[in-house]
Formats: sequence, C-alpha cells, structure tokens
Amino acid sequence: MFEGIPMITIILLMPIVGSILTFSLGRRESWAKWFALSFSLAALVLSVVVALQFMVNPTSQATGYHDGGGFFNYQFYEEHVWIKALGINYIVGLDGISLPLFVLTTLLCTLSVVFSWDTKVRAKEYFGLMLVLEVGVLGVFVSLDYFLFYVFWEIVLIPMYFMIGIWGGPKKDYAAIKFFIYTHVASLAMLISIMAMFFQAHTGSFSMEDIALAGSIGGVNNPALFTGGFQVAIFAALLFGFGVKIPIVPFHTWLPDAHVEAPTAGSVLLAGLLLKMGGYGLIRIAIPTLPQGAASLQILMAVIAIVSILYGAVLSLAQKDLKKMVAYSSISHMGFVLLGFATFTELGIAAGVFQMFAHGLVTAVLFMMCGVTQHKCGTRMIPSLGGLSKKMPRASTLMTIGFLASLGLPGLVSFAAEFMVLASMFQVWALWLWLPILSVVITAGYYLWALQRTMFGPLTDQIDTTKIHDVSWYEGVPVSILIFLIAIFGVFPLVMFQFINPAAHIVFGLLTHLGGV
Amino acid sequence: MAVWNALEGFTPQLILIAFALVLPGLDYLLKKDKRPLAWFALIPLVAIAAYLVPKLFLSSEPLSMQVGDLLTLDTFSALFMLVFISVGIVIILASPEFIRRDRNHGEYYALVLLALTGMTVVAESNDLIALFIGLETAGISSFALSGFRKSENRSAEAATKYFIIGGFSSALTLFAISLIYGVAGTTNIEVIGQTLNGSMAALEGSRSVVRLAVVLFIAGLGFKIALVPFHMWAPDVYEGSPTPISGLLAAASKKMGFAALFKIFLIAVIVTKTDWQVAIAALAIISMTVGNLIAISQTNIKRMLAYSSIAQAGYILIALPVGTQYALEGGLFHILTHAFMKSGAFMVVAAMGAVAVGEKLEDFKGLSKRSPFLSFSMAIFLLSLAGIPPLAGFSSKFVLFSSAVYTSADGPTWLVWLAIAGVLNSALSLYYYARVIKYMYMDPGPTDRIRVPPMIGISIALALIMVVAIGLYPQAVIDICENAAAGAFPGLPPGLP
Repeated sequence: MFEGIPMITIILLMPIVGSILTFSLGRRESWAKWFALSFSLAALVLSVVVALQFMVNPTSQATGYHDGGGFFNYQFYEEHVWIKALGINYIVGLDGISLPLFVLTTLLCTLSVVFSWDTKVRAKEYFGLMLVLEVGVLGVFVSLDYFLFYVFWEIVLIPMYFMIGIWGGPKKDYAAIKFFIYTHVASLAMLISIMAMFFQAHTGSFSMEDIALAGSIGGVNNPALFTGGFQVAIFAALLFGFGVKIPIVPFHTWLPDAHVEAPTAGSVLLAGLLLKMGGYGLIRIAIPTLPQGAASLQILMAVIAIVSILYGAVLSLAQKDLKKMVAYSSISHMGFVLLGFATFTELGIAAGVFQMFAHGLVTAVLFMMCGVTQHKCGTRMIPSLGGLSKKMPRASTLMTIGFLASLGLPGLVSFAAEFMVLASMFQVWALWLWLPILSVVITAGYYLWALQRTMFGPLTDQIDTTKIHDVSWYEGVPVSILIFLIAIFGVFPLVMFQFINPAAHIVFGLLTHLGGV
Repeated sequence: MAVWNALEGFTPQLILIAFALVLPGLDYLLKKDKRPLAWFALIPLVAIAAYLVPKLFLSSEPLSMQVGDLLTLDTFSALFMLVFISVGIVIILASPEFIRRDRNHGEYYALVLLALTGMTVVAESNDLIALFIGLETAGISSFALSGFRKSENRSAEAATKYFIIGGFSSALTLFAISLIYGVAGTTNIEVIGQTLNGSMAALEGSRSVVRLAVVLFIAGLGFKIALVPFHMWAPDVYEGSPTPISGLLAAASKKMGFAALFKIFLIAVIVTKTDWQVAIAALAIISMTVGNLIAISQTNIKRMLAYSSIAQAGYILIALPVGTQYALEGGLFHILTHAFMKSGAFMVVAAMGAVAVGEKLEDFKGLSKRSPFLSFSMAIFLLSLAGIPPLAGFSSKFVLFSSAVYTSADGPTWLVWLAIAGVLNSALSLYYYARVIKYMYMDPGPTDRIRVPPMIGISIALALIMVVAIGLYPQAVIDICENAAAGAFPGLPPGLP
C-alpha cells in the first residue's frame, strides 16, 4: 500500500518544516502554538497510519535487510548514500521494537504541545524547540546507520538543554549544564564504541545491519569478527553510554536535577521519550550486535537493574517534592526495562519494550499532574499540600488514576508490562524474584502515601486555597487521552505485542544462535 | 607563454602582491569614505577563490603545477590556499566597520593581503627556504597588523609580544633548517626525506642531529600553532589585536604552521617517526587539555576563543602521530572547518566591538533579545567547535578521532588514547561553550537592539552557511581532503579499514 512512498522521511520532515516555520514567525508569537500543533499532529496521524499498516501486515514484505531476507525484518525501509567516502548512508526503517516508541514519540509531542497551550514566555522558541526535539527522538528510533543515529541522538540534547535552561525552575542553570555535559559524555563513550565496531567489522559501512552481520553473525566463509574480549569491552562501553540515558544507578544523578527544574512539558518529553532512547539503544544496538559481550555481563545488567528498581523506589519514598518523587520513580520503572532485557528470554525482551511504551504513557500523566498542581497551587511540596480533592476534584481523579497506573494496578498498562518482566525473570532466576517484588510494595507505599497527603485528608492551611481552580481544558484533555490509552493497552496488551513479538523473536534468535544464552 | 606556464602556480601570490602594493597609494585618492578599499582588497581574493574552486571541486584530474623546484600548487596546497583565502574574505568583509575610526586603512588591507601571500607560499613550498620565507612574510605582516591600533596600549603590547616571540620562533626554525641541511645536504623537502631514509642506517651520528632539529622544529612551529607549552603569547595577542586580526591569526596564521608541520614531519623527517611520535602525541593531549581547562576560567571572550584555539590545535595535531593518509584527511578537514567556525566566532565578537558592546563574557548576556542573528550565529559556531552534530565541527572531529581508533584494526595500539583524550576534551570544552550560549539565551541583559553592521553581517552569514552546509553534506569536502592527503603524502599508509 505504501510501496515507494518514503513514509518515514515524510514524518521526519513534519517537525523539521514545522520548527523552521515556527522559528521564522517573527513577531507573531501567538501563532507558534498553532504551527506546533498542526505539524506535530500531522506527524502523529501519519505515524498512526504506519502503525495500522503494521497491524495489517506485522511481519511483512521483504523490505528487510538488502532485500535478502536475513535476520532483520524492517518495514518502510529507505536507503540513500550520504557521505560515500566514509561509508555513511541515510538508512531508516521500522520494526516491532521501534514502532511502539515511534508512535509514542509523535503522541507525547502532540500532547505536550496541547499541555503547554498557555505558554506565553518566548512562545516561538518554546514550540520551535519542542519540534526540534521531536525530530531528534523520531530520528533515533528510525535510524539504521550508526552515524545517522548518533547525529539524531545528539540533536536531542540541544533543545532539552534550552528547555531546561530558559523555562526551568530556580536552579535551572545548574540542571541544564549538568544534563548537557553528563549525557554528552555518555554519548561520546558510545561514539568511540561505534568507531571501534566499524573498524573491527571491516565492512566499510556504518550500517547497523552490516556491522551486526559481519561482526557477530558472520557467514559460511567469513567467521564473525567480534571476538570475546572485544565484545565485552565494547558492550561495557555501550552499557555505560546507554545506561546514563535510562538512567541506571549509579549514573542517574543528572535525572532528578533535570526533572525538578525542567518545565512540565520538558519533563514529560524527558521521562517519556529521552529515557527510552537509552533502553532502545540497548535492545537495538548493544545486545544484537554484541551478544557474547551481553551474555558475559548478563548478571551485571540484572544486578544494576534490580539495584535501580529498589534504590529508585526507596528514594521516591523520601521525597518531599511531588515532581522529584515521580522523577525517582522513573529510575525504578526504567529498571524493569533493563531487567527484562537482562533475562535474555523472548518474553523478557518483548516485555522490556512494552514497559518502555507503558512507562512513556504513565509517566507523562504523572508529570502533567505535577505540573497542574504546581500551576494551580503554586507549590509541589507535599507537606504544604493536602485535601486538594475538595478544591480540584477532577484533577485529583486524574492524579489518582495516574498513581494507580504507575503502582501497577491490574487492568492498567504498567501492570501488564511489569508482570511480564517479572514472569520472564522467574523463568531465569526463579526465586531471586523476591528482590524486584519488594519494590512493588515500596512503590504502592510512596504513591498511596503521597496521594493521601496531597489530595485527601484535611484541606491544607499552608497555601492560599481560596483561589485554586480545577484543571484547565488544555491540561485535562491530554491527560484524559493518555489515561484512555493506559486503560486500553492495560486490557489489550496483545495489540502491542503483535508488533513487538516478531522483532523480539529475531533478537532472541540472535542470542541463542550465537551462544549468548 | 613558457614563462606563464612556469609561473602559473605562483599567479595567486603575484596577484595578491600586486594588489597589496597598489592599496596604500589608493588610500590617498579617497577622501572620507574608505570602504572602497575593502572592496578593492576583496577583488584578488574572490578571483583566486574563483580560480581554485573549479580546479578543486569540478576538475577530475589531480592538480599539479610546479614553480621551479621551490613551489608546487597541488591539491594539498590549493586546499590550504582556499582556507586562507576564505578566512581573508571573511575578515576583510568585517574590517571596514571595525576600523572605521582608525587611520591607515590602505596599509591595513595591504598587510592582510601580504600576510595571506606568505601563508600561501608556505602551503605551496617544496623547499625549506621557500617555507621559511613564507613564514617570515606572513609573520612580519601579522606583527604589524596586531599593533595596528598604535595608540592603544593593549594593541602595542600585543604587537611587541608577538614580534619577540615570533622572532624567537623563527630563529629556532631557521636553526633547525640549517641542521637538516647539514645532514642531508639539501633544502628540498622530498629530497631530504629520501636522503635521510638512506643515510639513517649508515650514519648513526646524524640521527642525533636530526633529533635536535626535530626538537627545534617542534618548538619553532609550536609557537606558530600555539601549542602548549609554547602558547603563552596567544591569548594576550588575540586579546590585544583588532578583532578581525585575531580572527586572521587564529583561523589562518595557525593553519600555516600546520601546513609547515605536515610537510616537515610527514615527508622530510618521517624516517625518524619513532623518535617524535610519542612526544607529539603527548603534546597534542597536553595542548587540548590545558587549552580547555584554562578556557573555562576566562572572562574575556577573545581570550576564551584563544584558549579554545590552543585546544583545537591539539586535536589537529592528532594527525601527526597517527600518521596515516586518513588521519591527515581528518587533520585537513578539521583545519578547514575550524577556519570557518573560529573566524565566524571572532567576527561575531568583532560585530559587537564595532557597535561598542564589549568583549567580556558578561556582555553576551541577553544577546538573543538584542540581536537574534548574532546570538544564533554564535551559538552555531560554538556548538560546532564543541563538535555537536550535524555541524561541520562534528564531521571533521569524527574523521580525525576515528583515524586514531582505526589504528587498532590490527591489534590494539596506544594511539587510541589520542581519540579518547580528544573525546573527553570535547565534553570538557562543551562546558565553556555552553556557558556563552546560556548567557546569550537564558540570562537577562540590556534590551536595546543591536544593529549589526551590514558587511560584518555578510561575513558572519558566509561562515555560518559554510559551517551548516559542510556539516549536512561533508562529502565534497572530504573527497578533496582525501585527494590532498593522498596526493601530497603518497608514502603514508592509507589508514581506512
């Protein structure tokens, strides 16, 4: 149906054109939000069309690797020469692992634009940068060439740096620069690893597939070129590079600072999309390209995952700032993604991907509700709040659903994802399961406790409650849409798994084939 | 016509000299408005660019024009020439508004053209004597230019300092040349390479003389490219010189030093590579680290850019110890991109100087409100210097650093550490570049609009277009750098897996 139409390039062009137009608006700042909305909405609609095509045909035609079948099975595949002298091409494509994140990106960007509807301070730059961010994140999820991937990966940093630095809270300067440099160092570790894989693979091409094929799959006459020691070293470097983004303990310290200072939409995109880039990098690049390296570090990955899950949860329990609590909870929930991948089972890989999608939806609701609280009450400090359900009943309903979704209430999307991660872990490490299970209790604890102290109980007397209004339409609509999706995918997670499973099967096949498991 | 054929490779210099000699006289013909002088000085530069660009980018046959035994116009030298000429265009465009209150405009442009002449001679030189003459021509013109504002103490101090250091470094270079001549019996760079290659095995005694010469070359040319520990003069001189001249020194004069270094180390004394490889690698790492660390604490933008140039010199120097054609390709590529981003950054400073805003970092506060064009250009130049994709600085650093990584293709080598040091330094440098961006976009400042003088605006826009275009489509430039490296240094290993 879409033969010959470069769908992915068209979708990428939407925010690119949109941002250029938005920046060149001149004095007509009030048009910026309309431009941003129309272009992000166009990208969303087109990406849903792409997703529907996947639904019709989940494993699809031979648009895969060089039309030769092979291990990989991408759809909407495009390949053009970019920098011939260095073997760099513009290669993009989607599979079941990237598709959920791709759609999540267009969705969250559109909803963030709506949520920021009353932004008046430097609106032109605000919405323009949001579209630049969308370009970067979309590009990361579709790139199949290392150079292209790195370019998009780094593009993401700049709009986020500005969003924190311009529209952020009181300590924005520190948070913005810390975010920028911390994640840039991680990117550079990745860059060196990419260069190393390139020369070791001797393919003369930066194509992810070429390098994976030559490096760790090999053929009848050409043995795989990535040896054991090389795999472990490079996998460790990539685990650091991607781990900072996820973020894993102990490389997580940039996250609370960035989140607390970022504007609400910035936090939504940061937690909803930027963290996913780390997890995506692991499952798209590190694990399939370096399966033996991954296998050697499997226990380390699992330990880091469990430590992140528990440590993030315990830290959330201690927070007084609502937003900081949600930020730390992200570390805990993203730990489940790593745990799923670390099991090296088909279920675990698929569940990890699904958890990224689920966390993207849920955490967006949470950060948006933190933003609403800040906006309406003037503070997010839990001790200053209390009894808000009397003043803002609709907001408190939305927040309660969000908290319940995040703590893993059955029937909502996080439960499905985390349950499957835990099930896959049980297959591999059996009763060690009690460790991550502990976090479920802690998570329920901090969410319910926070809910009790902010929304219920006696009305607070520490802030002026007479002027508190309920949630505005531009805040309520995006949150409601997200909650609708949280419920839909909570009840019918298989809708998503029909995309994810074939792709997870390929990654799992690689791992078993190469003696990774 | 025979004379013409023999001299064709020297025509660019002849044109430059002719215009330089006419310019001071022309000054007397103009009463008030001295701007026509700048247009006049642009004529030879645009003509040479128009002559070189088709030869480099459109012609399929490799460039090779001998001028006697002394000079060759090949792809390598044409590439350098294009860098010098582009920087010349950018800074001459920015000059009239910057120096409009000063006197002696004719001499100013004449000296700029003469400095460019010297640089192009170095790029073309086949012979150490020609190379030295080029170094001196460029050097003497630059000393005078940095002291152009005679009445200003800072400018006079810069000129004096630059003159003393420059004279000292020339003496060291000349001494090194004489030692090499003593061993090899010739000053022709290629013949020196062949002779040393033959005699090294036979004459163990001459090896120590060559070693001494190598040390003197490192010191003498190290001053020119402001390599740590020979860098002390650079921040003072860049700060004191008129800003367009600081741009010329950082973006062009420094590149001349690299042209000389590449020729001497990779052709003449390549046989002693094991002697100098580690030393130069260490100097490269020290230079980038010290440059970046000191840049962090600067409060004057010109000094900050000077230290950033010192660090960038360290990156480019990676090409020497790695010593493959691919590494050299990266070095040349980074020289080219650095010329655009650094001259662009200096021209933004010049624009602010021309409207009397100031050169302190604090003066950049709130610039995005005062002049969106200046702040956007500056942000792009700084991000490119930091190596953020998809800008030109990223592409060239990518080639440069990857060349060091690729040396490990047949088993790990210590050269990989050069890439790791470069990458860590890029992260470090991001701190002070991002701080300027923060000042411009995030901090409140004065709100009165700045009217960017139109010619400086054009020169900034030129540099900006190049930085973005090369970043998005580096293919054409990489091809030229590849040809240049392969053509001028056929003896080096290719270096690409």
